[in-house]
Amino acid sequence: MKVTFNWLKQYVEFDWSPAELAERLTMLGLEVENVQKLEGEFEGVVVAQVVTKDKHPNADKLNVCRVNDGQGERQIVCGAQNFKAGDKVPLILPGFSLPAKPGEAPLLIKVGKIRGVESLGMMCAPQELGLGDEVSGLLILREDARVGQPFSEYLGRSGTDMVYDLEITPNRPDLNSVIGIAREISAVTGNPLRLPEVNLTEASGRVADAVAVRIEDAELCPRYTARVIRGVKVAASPDWLRHALEKVGVRSINNVVDVTNYVMLETGQPLHAFDYHLLAKSAANGLPTIVIRPAAEGEKFITLDGQERALTRQMLLIADETKAVALAGVMGGQNSEINPNTVDVLIESACFKPQNIRATSRKLDLRTESSYRYERGADIGICDWASQRAAQLILATAGGKLARGLVDAWPQPFAPRQITLRHAQCDAVLGVAIPAAQQTQFLQRLALKVEAGPAGEPPATTFGVPSFRVDLKREIDLIEEVARLYGVDKIPATPPRGAVGAHPHDAVHDQLANVRRILTGLGLYEAQGQTLVSDVVARLTHGSALVPLSNPLSSDMNVLRPSLLPGLLAALRHNVSRKINDLALFEVGRVFLESEGQRREERRVALALTGQRHPLFWSGEEREARFDISDLKGLLEEFLEQFGVRGMNYVRRPESTALFLESATVHLGRFQLGEFGLLLPSLARQHDLRDAVLLAELNLDLLLARRNPNKSFRPLPAFPAIRRDIAMILPAATTHESILQVIKQAKPANLEAVELFDVFRGKNVPAGQKSMAYAFTYRHADRTLTDAEVNAVHDKLVVHLKQRLQATVRE
Amino acid sequence: MAENDFMAGFLDQIEPLKQAALAELDGAADLAALEQARVNYLGANGRFTALMKQLGTLPREEKPAAGKAINGAKVELEAALARRRGELELKAALPAEPTDFTLPGRRRILGKLHPLTQVTEDIVRSFRKIGFVVAEGPEVEDDYHCFDALNTPADHPARDTQDTFYLGGAETEAAPPLLLRTHTSSVQIRVMEKQSPPVRIIVPGRCYRRDNADATHNPTFHQVEGLYVDRNVTVGDLKGTVEFVFKELMGEETQIRFRPHYFSYTEPSFEIDFSSPMTRKMGREWLEIAGCGMVHPQVIENVGYDAEVWNGWAFGFGIERIAMIRYGINDIRLFYENDLRFLKQF
Repeated sequence: MKVTFNWLKQYVEFDWSPAELAERLTMLGLEVENVQKLEGEFEGVVVAQVVTKDKHPNADKLNVCRVNDGQGERQIVCGAQNFKAGDKVPLILPGFSLPAKPGEAPLLIKVGKIRGVESLGMMCAPQELGLGDEVSGLLILREDARVGQPFSEYLGRSGTDMVYDLEITPNRPDLNSVIGIAREISAVTGNPLRLPEVNLTEASGRVADAVAVRIEDAELCPRYTARVIRGVKVAASPDWLRHALEKVGVRSINNVVDVTNYVMLETGQPLHAFDYHLLAKSAANGLPTIVIRPAAEGEKFITLDGQERALTRQMLLIADETKAVALAGVMGGQNSEINPNTVDVLIESACFKPQNIRATSRKLDLRTESSYRYERGADIGICDWASQRAAQLILATAGGKLARGLVDAWPQPFAPRQITLRHAQCDAVLGVAIPAAQQTQFLQRLALKVEAGPAGEPPATTFGVPSFRVDLKREIDLIEEVARLYGVDKIPATPPRGAVGAHPHDAVHDQLANVRRILTGLGLYEAQGQTLVSDVVARLTHGSALVPLSNPLSSDMNVLRPSLLPGLLAALRHNVSRKINDLALFEVGRVFLESEGQRREERRVALALTGQRHPLFWSGEEREARFDISDLKGLLEEFLEQFGVRGMNYVRRPESTALFLESATVHLGRFQLGEFGLLLPSLARQHDLRDAVLLAELNLDLLLARRNPNKSFRPLPAFPAIRRDIAMILPAATTHESILQVIKQAKPANLEAVELFDVFRGKNVPAGQKSMAYAFTYRHADRTLTDAEVNAVHDKLVVHLKQRLQATVRE
Repeated sequence: MAENDFMAGFLDQIEPLKQAALAELDGAADLAALEQARVNYLGANGRFTALMKQLGTLPREEKPAAGKAINGAKVELEAALARRRGELELKAALPAEPTDFTLPGRRRILGKLHPLTQVTEDIVRSFRKIGFVVAEGPEVEDDYHCFDALNTPADHPARDTQDTFYLGGAETEAAPPLLLRTHTSSVQIRVMEKQSPPVRIIVPGRCYRRDNADATHNPTFHQVEGLYVDRNVTVGDLKGTVEFVFKELMGEETQIRFRPHYFSYTEPSFEIDFSSPMTRKMGREWLEIAGCGMVHPQVIENVGYDAEVWNGWAFGFGIERIAMIRYGINDIRLFYENDLRFLKQF
């Protein structure tokens, strides 16, 4: 909503500076989004008269003119054709600048030669002065314009003004009007609100003899009023009206339409003017009859903007007996609009159901100043007054005679809502004591009426709510009004009170923080990926049903992520394409799954590695090493151990998947915790990734549930250990896990630990075989073991391994 | 006399021999030379050892004095040997080339938390100091929890499909469509439905709005919601808590102001502006940072609490916005690109 400083001043007195007004409005809840100063406008622009107009000697399309600027004559070269000697035009003198267009620097006018002829200034077109629409040619001024007069004075714009662009919250439709905003200022200052006086001179004919109104659906249209003015002269608006509209960004059309717009801005009530003679007469009563009815399904209607629109049964129309003439509350129709030949005017001032206007406006993608106001809730009480005000201004600007009275279809008159305010409750909610009388005074300044009280114990007052305050519904709403006028800044802050909250997620939050702490400690950076991903990428990571959006922004973001891996892949690609090739990332986040028709959210942690294993260093064999699957496995093992999860199994998938060249699933008992592996080279190429890419993803909800955070002290060993090493040559397919199983089966006494310390293929190892070397640590808790007893156990173990694993032991 | 002469001759030999040995030990250029010097003098056939062997030939009454003299010399020589050995060993241990201590070291990497996580954790920490706990709720929501229960009528602009992502696919006529929550406020309802008052929670989490990504919008973003429901809660409590939390987050010099505003689920509602040296550096006295208000009695009633007994406040703010202001980040999309050069800065 745009409003100017001077316009507000017409309705209420205040002694604030323009900057202070912005501050006050903001603190009242009318946030000032932008302030524009209208000042020094048209500096150096004067009314000038063309004395002579001759062809430019060197250019067909240019004229050389002698122009009187009030001080004397000067020569101007001009390209426009729409003027003649004797015309009065705006002239900008050299050294002054034309108003800046948005985003451009102001144009400075200099003395210069145009095709060899000197030009001492410029005669201006309206758009060059920032006035109105594109017109080809100069702005021709009224004949009575005084030569030499400053142009701003000619326009009646001599004073400074400020335009405020206010953000009006959707609960306050009454503030979409200058009077509504002035009422707020009046309430804060205590200065009276001065509404314009409307004294109408009515002609003898009754409006009821000129038009009838029939509402077919009173729920969608609770009130419809009509007035008729006969004998108007449709013309350009007077300057004051045009400027009032243009200052707040509304295009001037003609005097009648401009008045309806002006009154809408002034009062908040949308109005529409029809050409009375374009309304068909009803056969029944011989009168033009306004019918407010739902559209027929598929009914076609051409709105004022020239668009033909297909309507639905849910949309409300203003019609006569033969045709639709307006889309109720949204836009008028081309077939009945005010035109240069209009003589008689019908003024509509009505009230429509907000939800219906909103639905129509959305469906047709047609938003207007009118629909904007109606969908937020118009004031049913103001229809008549706004119509009178419009009639008054049409009579003043376009002439004509007003038919007597008002046709007012108002099936269910308005009963003001009553709300009781317990004054102590107001103090209790706000945390400050405001005397009951002051609370009442604040509300009265906002036009609420005391209906009863103060009475009772504790005392309460009942207020009647004016029709324009559609937002005031219950006591708390009145408390808010008291708070606003009292000043929120004056409510003292009280320190947080001692108490403790409780929620089961609180501990989970700490565990998630713990996951992040461990992974950053292991050298990974945390990433945050988009939740919305493309179904194509999602399918790589997840075979079953995806959760799609019904209204995606684009096909890149049309499903909820079923996995964190697409996001990490996108992060890898983003970095590698910027030559950041060495990456170790993780993400903790939710994924969205659907199984058996049930949607669920699951917490996961995912890891991604690519590029060099170590930070850049200047020496050493290892420095060029790239991440491989063992890096990832090691990270997972360390992470899981630190997090308190033990006893995982890793099972290699026999085949490649849509995502992985080679991968394994991670199991804990009967649960599958997740998977990890090496990205398919084809996918790596697709993502512009050159080095091997290792990916892992684990179900965090499962990890949280299976985690055993308990730690208990084990006494440090008091007796020495004995170590025995074995190097075995085994079939290449033998897994580490199977070897451990075989060792476990042998149940060697006093075996404390088994560690793999070498895997080797090549020299001295036959093809199809590998050498694996293990260190066995034997220890007894209560005494020192002897070599002999360890050897007895160990030799038996060696025999067992040889037999069960088809191993030969290297000596 | 002859014995005395012999004695004198013996004593006279000690000092020159000691001096020669000391000179050779101290002059040894390396450990091998030092060992050779030791053998020359103190070895089994060394010259000093030979002199000591003569001690036995001295008359009995002279032995103590002579023994004392030669042992004194021997201790001195052994000390000199140890000292020189220490010096030479140290010399031998040093690398041939002196180390360049200005060379970059072999680094270990400590990863970093995403800036949004860092900000979230700071917020959580501030609230926990004053007795709040962390709660959560689903990101896929229904109309009821995201809108209806929050007193957001069916025709409210927030419910436009322009703003809200709806899930497609599996819903039937009977099952209402699901959506991605547009704010964390839906968790207010989820928690209050399950839990009796009083309630003190904060809810960090992801939210979604159907905005095309640009410098200030991303379809995915994060909010933190705070909810406090108790007896006799006042606007003053709300202001006090907000001030406490923002001073914790943005520094002791931070100032807060409340402006009346509108949210359907709070009444009265306010927008919160803050002012600090940071905002002034950005050329702004006040910067909008959060929305808040007293929980609307309708919302209290919707979850089955008695609005005459219980009231409270709620507030919410965007984590990205806080992070952007705190670090001077100018484009929200940076948070979701995971550019390592970005992640490393925080």
